[in-house]
Amino acid sequence: MLARRKTRQSLLIVCFLLPSLAIFLLYRVLPLGWNVVLSFQSWSPMRPPRWVGLEHYEEMFLYDDQFWTAFTNTLIWIGAAPIAILLALGIALLVNSDLKGASVYRTIVFLSYPLMTVAVGIVWRWMYDERGGFINWALRSMGIIDKPLGFLQSFDMALPAVIVTDIWQILGFYMIVLLAGLQQIPQHLYEAARVDGVPAWARFWRITLPMLRPSLFLCAVIGLLNSMTSFDLVYVMTNGGPGDATELLITYIYRMGFGQTKFDYAAAVTVVQFALLVGLTVIANRAAGGNAGAVEKD
Amino acid sequence: MRRGFPWARHALLILVSLVMLLPFYWVIKTALTNENIYAYPPRLLPLDPHLFNFVDVWYLIPFPRYLFNSVLVSLMAVAGNVVFNAMAAYALTRPFLGKRLVIVLLLSCTLIPFQATIIPAYLITAKLGLLNTYLGLALPMLSTIICIFIFKSAFEAVPRSLIDAARIDGLAEWRIILRVLLPLSKPAIATNVILAFIWSWNGFMWPLIVTRDANMQTLPLGLARFLSYMEDTSGALYAFVCMVLAPGILVFLMAQSAFVRGLTHGATKG
Repeated sequence: MLARRKTRQSLLIVCFLLPSLAIFLLYRVLPLGWNVVLSFQSWSPMRPPRWVGLEHYEEMFLYDDQFWTAFTNTLIWIGAAPIAILLALGIALLVNSDLKGASVYRTIVFLSYPLMTVAVGIVWRWMYDERGGFINWALRSMGIIDKPLGFLQSFDMALPAVIVTDIWQILGFYMIVLLAGLQQIPQHLYEAARVDGVPAWARFWRITLPMLRPSLFLCAVIGLLNSMTSFDLVYVMTNGGPGDATELLITYIYRMGFGQTKFDYAAAVTVVQFALLVGLTVIANRAAGGNAGAVEKD
Repeated sequence: MRRGFPWARHALLILVSLVMLLPFYWVIKTALTNENIYAYPPRLLPLDPHLFNFVDVWYLIPFPRYLFNSVLVSLMAVAGNVVFNAMAAYALTRPFLGKRLVIVLLLSCTLIPFQATIIPAYLITAKLGLLNTYLGLALPMLSTIICIFIFKSAFEAVPRSLIDAARIDGLAEWRIILRVLLPLSKPAIATNVILAFIWSWNGFMWPLIVTRDANMQTLPLGLARFLSYMEDTSGALYAFVCMVLAPGILVFLMAQSAFVRGLTHGATKG
């Protein structure tokens, strides 16, 4: 009787887990494995696969300038994340208090995050526009420039311009994560420090920042992932141009895979991108004190 | 930090708010404007505001079709997330062999961004014959790991005695979920609904890859298509942008706390 109940129990658990696990196996685990295999093969939809070893990687690292441009741009994109996180930290500190209307400010700063990125890209294209855009108009009427600047058409300014848009959108997310971290810090630490006469800046350096490490680590990971999910923004705002000035690894993968149907080569680029993500995450984890990403106990 | 200069902090925050809100204003102004949008200098206030541009959108593109596709795919994603995530989360609250392994597997899956596996994901979908179908569009989004853990912690907060009492009364497992756990986990349901909706409503790269037929495209694809066909020569594009942004903003403003709770779940538990 009890045994039958037990088998029924485990059958139930398997049935309940099955749909979710099937989706994750089908769309996370299996693709990751297939992707690695594909990167060592020569393959196209019409031909049977052939093993070519490191050929794609050789081509990519030694001969593909476009790949290196995309790689560098992705690093620059990731490198801008700390600036955004610092900005968000400033705003979070301003908002995290008994300030009247703090929740209104919080909502406004966060409002841009849940928006459709494609639409955000179009909005900012318009902001940057040479004639109808706000930015050129403001700079010209303040007398900073006398000719309109084509931000998104310029080799030097296109990437920073797209990154500014990205920061505008993701800033609120960082702020929310940091606010959650700030609210976890026990108030009595500050009270004790104040009683001991510790000045405000030292309280920030000695209490706030160390206690905020897990949240800062999370922000860093979000920033890393963001470099891969920024496909929408680049696609709409510049489509990788002018030239390759705003090409990221993710847009390069799309172009190789679905533009030129070189799925095998795109898979090799994907492996490099994934290795970059994992490597930088490990470094960020070290910087945050080692076990910030530890598996939660159950 | 706690005392002094509230006016200075207000001034700073108002400045930040202006920067955050300005693009919204600029695009709404352009959508309402009647004049040549390329006239220089641009007007700060819309001249003779009207809604013609919004009407134009309905004639220039198959807007109802895009809207229908977007709503349908989002509904599938929301339904899938609530049902599958609740089921998986309930299983994870019960003891079973290999539970730790499943949890580690799920947590490591969160580190694999979907965009990092886009090529094989496309090939798998093609093998399943799901290219250009609604199911193919929604399938990868039918369950979300972070949402499973949100349900799990909500279920664990329900007193054990209540569940045991229901079981002694002879309630079947699925009825325990429906009658006891879910009614007590309304915030978790709200978080699931809103995250699933926002993610699928905003999704661009996956629909771009999976759909070939213009009839199957969702709103973000419609926007990108409109942009490349018409360039940005008319205010209609910006009216379209406003119409697409509005539902997201509304849902967010109505359920802000549920949304924030979902996004910071990992941050506070981590």
